[in-house]
This record gives sequence, structure tokens and C-alpha cells, in this order.
Amino acid sequence: MRLAAAVGLIVLFFVLQGLAARVVVAQDAETPATPVVTDDQVNAVAKTLYCPVCENITLDTCGTAACADWRYEIRLQLESGRTIEAIREDFVRRFGDRVVGTPLDPVLRALSLALPYAAAVLGLAAAVFVVIRLTRRMDRSAMRPAAGTVAEGAPRADYADQLERDLAGDRP
Amino acid sequence: MLAEIGVFTTAFALLTALYAVGAALWGERRAHAGGREAFTVSARNAVILTFLLLLAGSGSLLAALYTEEYQIAYVWSVTNPQMPMFYRLTALWGSQAGSLLFWTLLMSAFSAAAVTLNWRSHRRLMPYAIIYMMAAVAFFAALVLFVENPFDRWWILPDASADLQVVKAALIPAGAEAPSAARLAETASGLNPMLRHFGMAIHPPMLYLGFVGFVIPFAFAMSALASGDLSSSWIKASRRWALIAWLFLSLGLILGGRWAYDVLGWGGYWGWDPVENAAFLPWLVGTAFLHSIMIQEKRGMLKTWNMFLVIFTFSAVIFGTFATRSGLVDSVHSFARSEIGFPMFGFWFLLTLSAVALILWRRSRGELRDERHFGGILSRESLFVLNNFVFVALTIAIFWGSFGAPIISELVMNTNITLGAEYFKSVTPPLFILMYILMGVAPLSAWGVASMPRLGRALLLPVLLTLATLALFVADGTTHLGALFGYGIVLLAGWVALIETVRGVLARQKAHREPVYVSLLSLFARNPRRYGGYLIHLGITVIGIGVIGSTLFQQETQQTLSVGESLSIDGYSLRFDELLAGQISDDGRLMDIALVTVLRDGVEIARLRPRRDFFPQTEGMNTMTIAGAHSTLENDFYVLLVEWEPINQNSATFKVYINPLINLVWWGSILLIFGTLAAGWKHEVLPARLRQEMRAEEGAAAPTGRLARKGAQ
Repeated sequence: MRLAAAVGLIVLFFVLQGLAARVVVAQDAETPATPVVTDDQVNAVAKTLYCPVCENITLDTCGTAACADWRYEIRLQLESGRTIEAIREDFVRRFGDRVVGTPLDPVLRALSLALPYAAAVLGLAAAVFVVIRLTRRMDRSAMRPAAGTVAEGAPRADYADQLERDLAGDRP
Repeated sequence: MLAEIGVFTTAFALLTALYAVGAALWGERRAHAGGREAFTVSARNAVILTFLLLLAGSGSLLAALYTEEYQIAYVWSVTNPQMPMFYRLTALWGSQAGSLLFWTLLMSAFSAAAVTLNWRSHRRLMPYAIIYMMAAVAFFAALVLFVENPFDRWWILPDASADLQVVKAALIPAGAEAPSAARLAETASGLNPMLRHFGMAIHPPMLYLGFVGFVIPFAFAMSALASGDLSSSWIKASRRWALIAWLFLSLGLILGGRWAYDVLGWGGYWGWDPVENAAFLPWLVGTAFLHSIMIQEKRGMLKTWNMFLVIFTFSAVIFGTFATRSGLVDSVHSFARSEIGFPMFGFWFLLTLSAVALILWRRSRGELRDERHFGGILSRESLFVLNNFVFVALTIAIFWGSFGAPIISELVMNTNITLGAEYFKSVTPPLFILMYILMGVAPLSAWGVASMPRLGRALLLPVLLTLATLALFVADGTTHLGALFGYGIVLLAGWVALIETVRGVLARQKAHREPVYVSLLSLFARNPRRYGGYLIHLGITVIGIGVIGSTLFQQETQQTLSVGESLSIDGYSLRFDELLAGQISDDGRLMDIALVTVLRDGVEIARLRPRRDFFPQTEGMNTMTIAGAHSTLENDFYVLLVEWEPINQNSATFKVYINPLINLVWWGSILLIFGTLAAGWKHEVLPARLRQEMRAEEGAAAPTGRLARKGAQ
């Protein structure tokens, strides 16, 4: 009788053990292990975001408690599997376009990036146009090399004389 | 007593500056009518007196800082009894009111120096130059007196209601009492911790000297426009002043970069912050001007353009000052926000508008017509025009990113945007590449006429040397194509500068049979402008290599370590040895210091002490991160203490940067400074013997003719 009770207890122990193990396995299957996010990964995102309340300081270098909280938030979002773009968009949605180095809004982005290039191209065109226009008006006297310069095709031996004239300030 | 001295001397300085404006104007009118120059001479003396009065005013504020007169609100706000004497004195420019007074003093010093040194050589330009210089000085003196008075004192009005009992006023209000000196000393704020650094002690004065120095070329240009003397006289008068201002501005920018690298704790030296950019803009336009005036001097061209450049250089100075001090654009330098926004905007607007109107008026009368035309698209003057285009395009792009886009988006689209490093790193590189290409090609091109075959032949040797150097880079392991392209462009400019100098040395050696160093010194002594310019180009080349290396190949990591643990990065290891928390410094700051050992390939190379300073008596921004750095020409091992465990001090978080070639930025800057000093060196073109003979011939008379003209250059 005692033996039967002992065997029963042992069987019950193993049954409960098995059930417990299945419960744990089931729980593990439902909540997968959290991925480890390093400080470097957090900083890689934080570097592209500006502190919403400070002034022109990126989140990775900002020393305020608020920025530390936002860095922690970035960590949580990375742990939850969100991409860098998604995190940036989330910050822009909450704090506006001032938290990114160039706006994500297409109109603002185009305005910000394209305008300087457009101005540069126009400026370059204007500079080239001015030079060409003035070059065409060049008079014949300008065809001669200016004093103080090495003439086209001048022999190399003339360089020393030219240098001396330059150093003597004999220039137009 | 010191406050009264300060107020009265500044008030008298304002009056003498206004008197100088009036006297110079009247003197000019009388001179036109054939009268005597007494009023112009009086205006000159008033300029010098203005400087002396402002010197006395600034001296009284300095004395108040030295003697800890905390009743003066400015002294109370920027010092406290714990601060070392050095920082107590540098607090003169530690906040808005004091820095404005200092700014005004420096501007008056430049004005006094200009009227003294240029009085005989450029007398014709003097009256109007005095008018413009002193109008600017008077504006800033008025700002100091009426808007940001550093001599305001704390007073208590016992009979007033509780919320109005404490007031600030320069002179004692009726029925007021002085607060207790002990109470004031107890509550004194102390200097912003960020400014308690040696770099910050000399960076602002250099920057201010650079800013205000451009008032002299501006005033000479305006004088030429107003007086109608549109010969190259104003260029001769202002070239050296422009170079001096440019030198100080360069120094200010370099020191600012070094300060940011040491104190701001982000591993870099240039953050594209609006305040940095505000200082960079006049530097860019000023650089364009320094190149462009050569064309006017040598070829009589670009007269209108040079006027625009010099005016926009000073306009950029005033706009930058307005934008950063008024809080127009937020930045880490926002300590300087105040009520000066509207007056400064008005001053900037009027100054720019009147100057542009004057140029257009003179141009419409045909008085700014060029004497020659361009000789060809490859001539040096054409390449200088392209160089000017690049500098102006950079100015516009940086202005747009720093001020234009944020302001317009807020005004027009009702949204705040920040254009940060991302924007600047995408927009500016093509322009910098073009700038370096022109730096390499333009010095080889001839004035007047140049052709492709000749330019190609001249470029052959520098290109070959550049390719050889690049091969060395590749052999050293650099395979990044972008970096190699960048190095190549930058190196070409450097090789051209070096080859042209060596070529000059060899030619002189051959002609005079003198030692190399004598030939080199002779070149610099007899044409400092050209060879100083090459040295500047060499400095910019070295800076360029440093910028490419430290930008493209920077590495960083952040890790938390327990005592005894190590982290590894790029062949280096950092071992955390100990944390010394809560160390108290003489000036009252609390320091948390980490002791770390740096090893390379297992061999100890340095012991560093990165730390965090905490200023308990300061409100607001009261911590400072001081990096520990091991510097070599190859790179900087730069470590920051980010966080630590305050209880058992067993673990700490470190951020480590490897900054390759970063020290070339500082070494290149030193070359640039020496080059600028050389380029601005006053040189006598005629031999000493000839000068002596000419002097003897001219007797005691004032120097005239060629000698005077040369001496004035």
C-alpha cells in the first residue's frame, strides 16, 4: 500500500512537472526573447534626431534628462522591431519637422534641398554668361599677355626675369 | 563709483562719435568749397577720443569684475566669489551687455587705428570713412547705453509694492537703497560653465576683432562711393585692413572649433550650428573679396562686384550678430538673447539698403565701368570670377540652411524646421570640391590670356605628384573611392602652391647663387602677398585632408564597463580603472573623473581622465563634459564619460571616438595663420638705398608720388 502510494506520488510529480514544463514552453512561445539593442544602435538613430526642446543639439549628445528619456524610448522602439525610418517618422509626427536635420515632408524637403542647388546653377550660369559676354568684347590690346605674366609659349628661361620683375613690383 | 564712470564715459563716447560724424560731414562740405580742413581734423581727433572714452568705460567694467562689485547687475550675473580671477576678467565678454561694450570698444579701436595710420596716405577718403565708422560705433554705443547697459545696478525701493521693490538702473532712483553686499555675493550666478575654458577666453575676442575689423574696408568703400573717388585708392586703403579682419575671423573660427571639440563633448569641431555659420558667412564673402580685389588692382575690373562684396561682408557681420543675439534662430549660444533685435535689424537693413543704393547710383552714372575686358575663359581673372561664384554660392547655401529656410518656413508655412548637418553635408561638398579645383588651377593661369595647352602643361607636374601621393594613400590601405577623390582634389591645390614656391626659390637661387633659405626668405620678403597666399593655400589643403579623414573615417562606440573591464575599437582597447566621484575643485565645481587606460595592440599608450563637471551654484546648463584625448598625427583617441553608477561607482558608460587625421585641421590652421601674417606683411618694394636717396631728395616734405603710394600699400 505504501509502495503504491509512493509510486502514485512519483507519477503525480512527473505529471505535474510535465504540465509545468509545457506551461513554461507555451509562455516562451507566446513572448519571444527581447532582442538586445546596443548603445551604438540607439545612438545611430539618436544622431539623426534633434532634441525637440533644446536648441540645435542632436539626441545622442544632449545631456538633459528629457533627452535621456527619448533615447530610452528609441531603445524600446528598436527592441520592438521598428526601423530607423519608422522611429524618425514617429518623432516627426509628435514633435514636428524640426526634430530632423532635413524635413521629411516632401514639400519642405524639396524647398530646403533643391533651392540652394537651383540658386547655385543659376549663379554659375550667370557667372559663365558674364565672363563669355565680356570675353567677346575683348579688345585687341587685351590679346597681349598682361605685364607680370608669363606669355604664352614663353621660353622657360624667361621665368627668372619674370619673377624678378614680379618681385620688384613692376606690375600693372 | 565704477558704474558712474562707465555710464558717463560711454555716454560721452556716444556724443563724441556723433560729433565726429557731424564734423567730418561739415569738414567735407567746407573742403569742397575750398575751405580749411579744421573740421575734418577735429573729426579725426573725436574718433581717437571716442576710443579713449570707451577704453575708460570698458576699464571700469573690468575693474568692477576684478573688485567683485556685485551691485552691478552684469557683474552679479556673470561672476561669483568662487570664480578664479582669470575667468572673472574674461567675463567682460561672457554675456550680452558686456560683450556689446567690448564689441564697441574694438570697433572704435579699429577706427582710431585706421584714421591714424591712413590719415596721410588716404586723406581724400577720410571724411566719409570717419562718417561711416563713427555712425556704426555710435549705433553700438547707443545700444550699450539704452538697451543693454552693463552698468545697471540693483536697487531696492523700500516704499514700493513687494513685486516692484527690486529694480535695475544705472543711476540711483529717488528713494532707493543699495542691497546688502553680502546677500548679493551669496546669490551671484557665476559665468556660464561652458565659457569657463581657455579657448572661450580668447575665441570671442578674436571673433569680435574679425567682425568689427570689416568696418574699415566697408567705410573706405562707402567713402569712395560717397566722395566719387572711385579709383583703386579705396582698395589700397582697405586691403590690409580686410586681411587683418580676415586673420582674426579665421583665428576666431579655429579657436571656436577647438573649444567645441574640447568642451561640447560630441567628438567633432564643426556642428553647422547657426552661430558658427553666422561667423562663417562673413569669412566666405571676405575671402571672395580678398581674391577679387586682386583683379581690380591688376586689371581695373570688377569694380561694382568688389563694392558689393565688401559691403555684403560687413552686412553679413551685422546680420549674423542680429540673428544670433536676438534669438531669431535658436542655438546653443542663445545666452545672448535680448531686446536688441529690432534696433539691430533696422541698422542692418538701412546699412545694406543705403550701400546698395549708392553702388547702383554710381553705376548708373557709368563711374564703376571696368577698364579692361576678360581675356579668355581660362585667364586668371575668369577663374577668379568662378572662385567668387563658389564662395558666394557657399554663402547662399549656408545662409539658406541656417537662417533662410527656418525663417521662411515659420513665416510662410507656419512650421518650424531645422536644417542640420544632414543638409549641409549634402549641399556644400560639391561647392567645396569646385573651390579646391580652382585653388589648384587658378594660380597656374596667366592674367589676360591663357590657353588650354599651356594650362595643361603647367598642371602636368602637380597632377603627377598628386597621383603619386594618392598611390601612397592606397598603399597605406585607403580604398574608399570618395575619400581618394577628395584627397586628390585637395592635394592638387597643395602641390600647386608648393611647386610654385619651390619654382620661385630655384629661379632665385640660379640667378643670385644664394642658399635655399635665403631665396625662400627673399621671396616672402619681396612678394609676401603671393607667397603668403600660397602658404594659406597649403594650410587650407592640410585642413581639407584633416576634414576628409575625420569625417569619412570617424568611428565611435558607446559601452558600459565595470571596473577592470575593457572595450575595443579599431585596434585600440580602453580599460576602466577607477571612478573618482565628487571631487571638489577650487572654483566650487564638482568633478566626477574616470581613470582609464588606453592600449594599442596590448601595449599601454596613455592614461586618460575623462570627466563630467557639475556647477551646483549655476542654474540651467550647469554641466560640462570634458573629454580625455590621446592625440597623434594619425588620429585622436577621444573618450567621454557619459554616465556612471553613483552609489558603488563600479560601472560607467563611455563613448569613444577614433578621429583619423583630425590634428591636421589644427596644423593646417596654424599654416593658414602664418600665411595670412606673411600676406599682410608690409613690404617695401624699393631697395632701402633707393628709398634713402629719394627721401634725401624730397627733404623734410611729406612723402608723395611713387614712394608714398608704395608705402601706403
